Amino acid sequence: MLPLSLLNAAQNKPMLVELKNGETFNGHLVNCDNFMNITLREVYQTSAEGDRFWKLKECYIRGSTIKYLRVPDTLLDAVKEEQNRAREAGRSARGSHVSGTGARGRGAPPRGTPVVQSREVYI
Amino acid sequence: MDSLIPFTTSGSLVDCVDRKMLVVLRDGRKLQGVLRSYDQFANLVLEDTVERIYHQDVFAEAWRGLFLIRGENVVLLGEIDLDQEDEVPLRQVEWTVLEPYHKQDVANKKKREDVKSQVLYEQKGFCKEGGEGDGY
Repeated sequence: MLPLSLLNAAQNKPMLVELKNGETFNGHLVNCDNFMNITLREVYQTSAEGDRFWKLKECYIRGSTIKYLRVPDTLLDAVKEEQNRAREAGRSARGSHVSGTGARGRGAPPRGTPVVQSREVYI
Repeated sequence: MDSLIPFTTSGSLVDCVDRKMLVVLRDGRKLQGVLRSYDQFANLVLEDTVERIYHQDVFAEAWRGLFLIRGENVVLLGEIDLDQEDEVPLRQVEWTVLEPYHKQDVANKKKREDVKSQVLYEQKGFCKEGGEGDGY
């Protein structure tokens, strides 16, 4: 799944954000947008040198200042699981539907599937 | 020999997905992990990431987990040859042991780069802007 979709799926999860200047922000993701702008709550900010700390109830971080984000490793599996469940639900719903005019070509991926799919490539 | 064959599509990372990759960031960090996805900005999702630091003939590793890296901070991305990756001619030690040496190397490098850019500015008229925060 796309990097920004992973970020969207990480809402309410704890994460570490490191900015380009080396400061780090540990907190729970409230929201994010397509520019990677994010809002966090219950934030622990650390200076680049690692010597000063602040606690912030909430903060807004502009996407362009971000170097990287570290998220819980369980997140990727959780999202894959959810995607599979959604696909199964969609498939069974469509299966029960009589496919007449809605018929697609052999092996065509369902609409809305992202182009980059890890582990599954539709040729 | 597969690693010698160039990508068939220019500028595409699809051949790198689900492979173990080395990522060098602009701050000089070297991360190794499995590339799970990317987008048009080359933002990367790297799973089971390990950060490695080096000093002379010694290295140390620290496990970092799941990364979402903003594309503009990436210097390079290289595929790791799984057959050769264990043939490292370096000795491995604990991170806490090596970290001060690595930090010293980084500080020395920054000093050398500052002197270099100052000389280039004074003697050759090069502008000093554009490399802020770069440590690679």
